[in-house]
Amino acid sequence: MELQDTYYNKSEYVETASGNKVSRQTVLCGSQNIVLHGKVIVQSDAIIRGDLANVKTGRFCIISKGSVIRPPFKKFSKGVAFFPLQMGDHVFVGENTVVNAAVVGSYVYIGKNVVIGRRCVLKDCCMIEDNSVLPGETVVPSFARYSGSPARHITTLPEAMPDLMTEFTKSYYQHFVSITATG
Amino acid sequence: MTHYCYSIKILPGATVCEDCTLEGDITIGGGTVIHPRVTIIAEGGPIIIAEYCIIEEYSTIIHKKNEQPENPPKPLFIGAHNVFEVGCRLESLCGHIGESNVFECKSFVGIDVKIGSGCVIGAACSLNAPQTLPDNTVIWGSEHNNREALEKQPSQLLQLDFLGKVMPNYHRLRKSNVHKRQMSRQSQEPAKS
Amino acid sequence: MAYLTQPDYVKYACSCGQIKPITSLYFCRHCLQIRCGFCICHEVDSHYCANCLENMPSSEARLKKNRCSSCFDCPSCFHTLSTRATLAQPRQTPEQGSGDSKVENKQAKKMYYLSCFNCRWTSRDVGIPDQPVASGGWPERVNPNATRINQLLDYYKAIAQQEKQEKLDRERKKFAIRGKYITLTDKTGLTGAMARNIAGLPSSESTMSAIANFVPSEASADVEELSEDFYTKELNLNQITSMPQRLAAPEWQPSSVSRLYPIAKLLSVKRSQRCRACDHNLTKPEYNPGSIKFKIELLAFYHVPEVKIISYEPMKPGCTSALLLKLTNPTGHEMQVRLLQPEEVPDTEDRLEEPKSLEKSLEKSLNLEKDNLWYETVQRKADVTATCRVVTPDVTLTLAQRDDAAEYDDDATHDANDIILWRKSNKLALRLQVRCGEEVEAGSAAEAALTLQYRYRNTVPAPHEPRDHTLHATLMLQLGHVSG
Repeated sequence: MELQDTYYNKSEYVETASGNKVSRQTVLCGSQNIVLHGKVIVQSDAIIRGDLANVKTGRFCIISKGSVIRPPFKKFSKGVAFFPLQMGDHVFVGENTVVNAAVVGSYVYIGKNVVIGRRCVLKDCCMIEDNSVLPGETVVPSFARYSGSPARHITTLPEAMPDLMTEFTKSYYQHFVSITATG
Repeated sequence: MTHYCYSIKILPGATVCEDCTLEGDITIGGGTVIHPRVTIIAEGGPIIIAEYCIIEEYSTIIHKKNEQPENPPKPLFIGAHNVFEVGCRLESLCGHIGESNVFECKSFVGIDVKIGSGCVIGAACSLNAPQTLPDNTVIWGSEHNNREALEKQPSQLLQLDFLGKVMPNYHRLRKSNVHKRQMSRQSQEPAKS
Repeated sequence: MAYLTQPDYVKYACSCGQIKPITSLYFCRHCLQIRCGFCICHEVDSHYCANCLENMPSSEARLKKNRCSSCFDCPSCFHTLSTRATLAQPRQTPEQGSGDSKVENKQAKKMYYLSCFNCRWTSRDVGIPDQPVASGGWPERVNPNATRINQLLDYYKAIAQQEKQEKLDRERKKFAIRGKYITLTDKTGLTGAMARNIAGLPSSESTMSAIANFVPSEASADVEELSEDFYTKELNLNQITSMPQRLAAPEWQPSSVSRLYPIAKLLSVKRSQRCRACDHNLTKPEYNPGSIKFKIELLAFYHVPEVKIISYEPMKPGCTSALLLKLTNPTGHEMQVRLLQPEEVPDTEDRLEEPKSLEKSLEKSLNLEKDNLWYETVQRKADVTATCRVVTPDVTLTLAQRDDAAEYDDDATHDANDIILWRKSNKLALRLQVRCGEEVEAGSAAEAALTLQYRYRNTVPAPHEPRDHTLHATLMLQLGHVSG
């Protein structure tokens, strides 16, 4: 089926020159440390914790409502450090999902209500199903589909995953259209 | 502490973001860090959070109204070094949460749950039935498996130290409004009860 | 992508008769057929560990029983264990009197232990001493039954060897009866034993001894009595292992939590896929475990026109409803498409066989070597009986080639046509009619079958000119439920 249009209130969203659409109802802490690489959608009540460490996303990422993007910390013998969180291109993060990962590759689909534990590494082309819990320091290999709590490898993804994700995030962006407050 | 009053007491050394919902009689101990978008509601009685706790985004701590209101209302006392991770929810009525517990992301603790010390409530686990968790219990997974950990959960002092330094640079904070002398008295009182 | 989050509304028929979404189908450019995971050959390319992403040669993988040498799974919850470092101040024991060790002990040493982030199990829980190095060096446990298993292995190997030899001998006898050929061994007077020696096979004496010395196990009626504790002692469920925990370590099957030891992580494989009819590769991944690129990637998604449902009216028995479809040309060449009814497909000679039961063909595909005619049997027509019928217009539609730059000019052109709704680079929206059968019960699933006849330009035979072919793809559309 084709994606349906998602409507948003024009006055609620800020659109940048590079095509990022960011809701005003988000908490972007330490916004100078957050880099959104263009055509990224950040929906209402999402939290990005740029104050803890740098957060970088690629192009065509979708951060859904109520999700929390939070750089992970690691204890060392001489103190604690928050790691920068890197996200590739064409990444979808579902509603109310918590991402504590160190690296999220490109073409990654994370469902809604998911918990990605600290310092997880999500390789390119992987999928975490809705309501899964990925315990800390998990490495999710490419073309793996994880599900459950704790999440386990349940099946593999089609080889065309990069194209499927590209098409999905692009059409999501195209179908994310504004309505003015009066209309 | 014998009368019910709407007041929020933040002890020196605590880091409390302004972007939080704090309602009712709440005491926040020194060294505790409260991240933005946290909800703490003390409608059934005072909530006392001891020192060196971390309460992360979208966490909710509610002291619910009891059907037979006690007079004076019992406080909900949360021990030191507890960590409430993103999106967890605590609805305890049972007066006491031990020390060094970890409430992982999206976990839920219902009203009739007593929690000892050093416990871990796993991510997305929910405890609804009345129960008592002995010390060092670890609950994990969709099946709510539990086991007993050998050691207590390591303290988060280093993280607290870092957060205490970094958060004031980026967030508007609520100022502490209790002096040192008062603090020592208050933190002793709930321990006796 | 919608393919991953939604049910499969559009499914294509594979040449083996299976009906699958386009994302799990392949397209062999040499046979010009749609293939699926069910009717192609899967081959292991390389072994790697999914956690440390380290490649392992297949010979080493076999030696290590397909397990990683540096990564471990938690024996309690099966999540991957993490290595954690602690600064251990080694305790000064009175026995260590020499000066050297004292100098060493003054410095805090980094020690490592394994810990699970899911259930908080640590290697200290079962008393495994901390290691001075970050990876490796963990004590390996020996299977208590190792000698017996090796004995059994030797025995069965010997028997296999013997049977093979007997079979060879029998065949040679056949030849001898015919008397036509003189084998090399006959001619030179070599005995069987010497031939085996030259071929590097174990001599028959050693196989004989392995068979002769083997002692079979004996069943015994005497079973040891359970100790009194078993009945009287209070059970602590936290100390008893669960069934999955025991089965995860089949060699030891620990019954007590204190006997759980880290389990070496199982390796993953990179696989390539091969068409069984022509032996050409359909997919071949790059060697590097972290890479998502393919050297060969013949997916149906890149070669067969893709159909998506935009919307449809609810189906009613005996009525026609509107159906909006989107056609996409994924290839780099212009494509002519016609819509046909599935029964209008001209029967080629290899399309004659009737559908067989799934188990039978699966059995066939497993017994690959035994069956010489396997590739003929996997050609099967899909069962595409449907409750609804798409009214196919008698027009040839032209789909432009895929153009990645075209996505930036997004003006859809509206053709003045009652079939074509809009046209946008390599995409085309169609307005079609679907007729639902009279006798279809309300509430049953509404399905419609449709065949695409398309011109496909094959560019694969390099020395020749690219050739155009007329191909067919049959697909099933799920159109919700028939309303009353």
